[in-house]
Amino acid sequence: MTSPLIDAFNVVSLIAVFVLISLGLHFTFGMLGLVNLVHGELLLIGGYATYAVAELTGNVLLGMLAAPVVAGLVGLAMERGVLRFLYQRPLDSLLATFGLAVIIRQAVQLVYTSSPRNVPDLLRGSWLILGVNIPRWRLVLAVLAAVLVIGAWWLLARTRFGLRARAVVANPDLAETTGLDVGAMRAGLFTIGAALAGLAGGALAPVSTLDPQYGLLFLVNAFLVTILGGPGSLTGLVAAAAVLGGSLALLQFVIPTVFAQILVLVIAVVGVRLRPLVVAALAERKSHRTAVAAE
Amino acid sequence: MSEVALELSEVSAGYGTARVLWEVTLGVGVGEVGCLLGRNGAGKTTLLKTVMGLLRPETGRVRALGRDITGWPGHRVHRSGMVWVPQDNGVFPGLTVQEHLALATGDDDVDAVVTRVAEWFPVLAERRYQEGQTLSGGERKMLGIAQALVTDPQLLLLDEPTEGVAPQVVEQLLGVLAGASDGRSVLLVEQNIDTALTLGGTAYVLEEGRVVAAGPLSELHDSGELQRRLTL
Repeated sequence: MTSPLIDAFNVVSLIAVFVLISLGLHFTFGMLGLVNLVHGELLLIGGYATYAVAELTGNVLLGMLAAPVVAGLVGLAMERGVLRFLYQRPLDSLLATFGLAVIIRQAVQLVYTSSPRNVPDLLRGSWLILGVNIPRWRLVLAVLAAVLVIGAWWLLARTRFGLRARAVVANPDLAETTGLDVGAMRAGLFTIGAALAGLAGGALAPVSTLDPQYGLLFLVNAFLVTILGGPGSLTGLVAAAAVLGGSLALLQFVIPTVFAQILVLVIAVVGVRLRPLVVAALAERKSHRTAVAAE
Repeated sequence: MSEVALELSEVSAGYGTARVLWEVTLGVGVGEVGCLLGRNGAGKTTLLKTVMGLLRPETGRVRALGRDITGWPGHRVHRSGMVWVPQDNGVFPGLTVQEHLALATGDDDVDAVVTRVAEWFPVLAERRYQEGQTLSGGERKMLGIAQALVTDPQLLLLDEPTEGVAPQVVEQLLGVLAGASDGRSVLLVEQNIDTALTLGGTAYVLEEGRVVAAGPLSELHDSGELQRRLTL
């Protein structure tokens, strides 16, 4: 029998995983509007970069630090080489990112074959918290997710880069004629998104098994979270991760994982249908608060 | 015309294969107001987009503030000292009024900028925490003009600044623009003759992408040329 505390931690842990796999997509799809099917392969690159550096140096932490750098550089190259021509062209970006995803997956398979690879757990074992054993790395993942969300919020809401990024996303032509280099800003945002995907891929590697399909495991859930949360909304992303990750974790207690995942998909579809009502209600509350503050 | 602030020579431009401007030549002198007049669909906004680097000319040259800026991207054109106030779509949804102003100036002391703007448009100071898309049409026009003026541009491009605005707001906008255009180079794009007459200057009339009349605004007005060209 499991303790309620462990059950609660499992829910939080899965929500954290959903946040981690979606945060990069928040930048590349949610903000930039690219239908980024190569997002899963950026996680894959992060996972294999961690594995490769860990194999080479015997240092897993070094591998995890290399993961966002490698994925970020690959993302930057893709954006500058191909994707920068495809903003506001969703069908073309879908096709291009699908093609890039296939190329990366095949390249990884050529180099590492289809054999599963394992990245050692950086912090083996568990910590005894309130009388229950909490797996150390799972707790680190939860903290990492929280830190990254706060960091992303701070970057976008509190820095000059964030202000410029929001302007570029909101109205690119006006941003360009207000003196912002829209191309450079988009490249920066895509690189950040790719680096976050790589970081997630590396951080999740010790609790998964690496193979060339690794990224595909996360792609659907990352898109579900980003779409349900509302493209470009960090608050929405966290709320959607809580709804979908939390639902999956709770459903897995009572039904097999496959059925739980199907039900999560249903929840996402219903959620997307209801989201405009929720957004309208929140907007009305916010507008009321602004009016009261103005008085 | 003495020194030239903006000069278009034989500029043709358009969208894809659809050409909108046909070998347009015009100029605005330093410290002068130029008026580009034309009906809806004449190509006025296309001309401004071409000057601002959002469209690349198919033929011809654009010179501004002593430099050949043909083909420059918009951000580089802006940094050369030229600011465009678009006719519509001139706000960033999700950004507050004070964020618009901070973006325009790049200044950390946004309080000082808001105080300066309040002298022109007090309502914007009251709305400083309100997001751009929640402003009324007139307030959006004020914000666009304020964003331009806080950068102290050498050359100001105004695209129908009073279009669709209540009469009392038009008066306020024109008052501010008249002050701002004093000694500054301005290209005013208009289809309203009365608005153009407030700021005066040299006029160019655009029809189907071609300049069909040019000369001092008052002369074109007195001869009845403007009324004939701009009224149905």
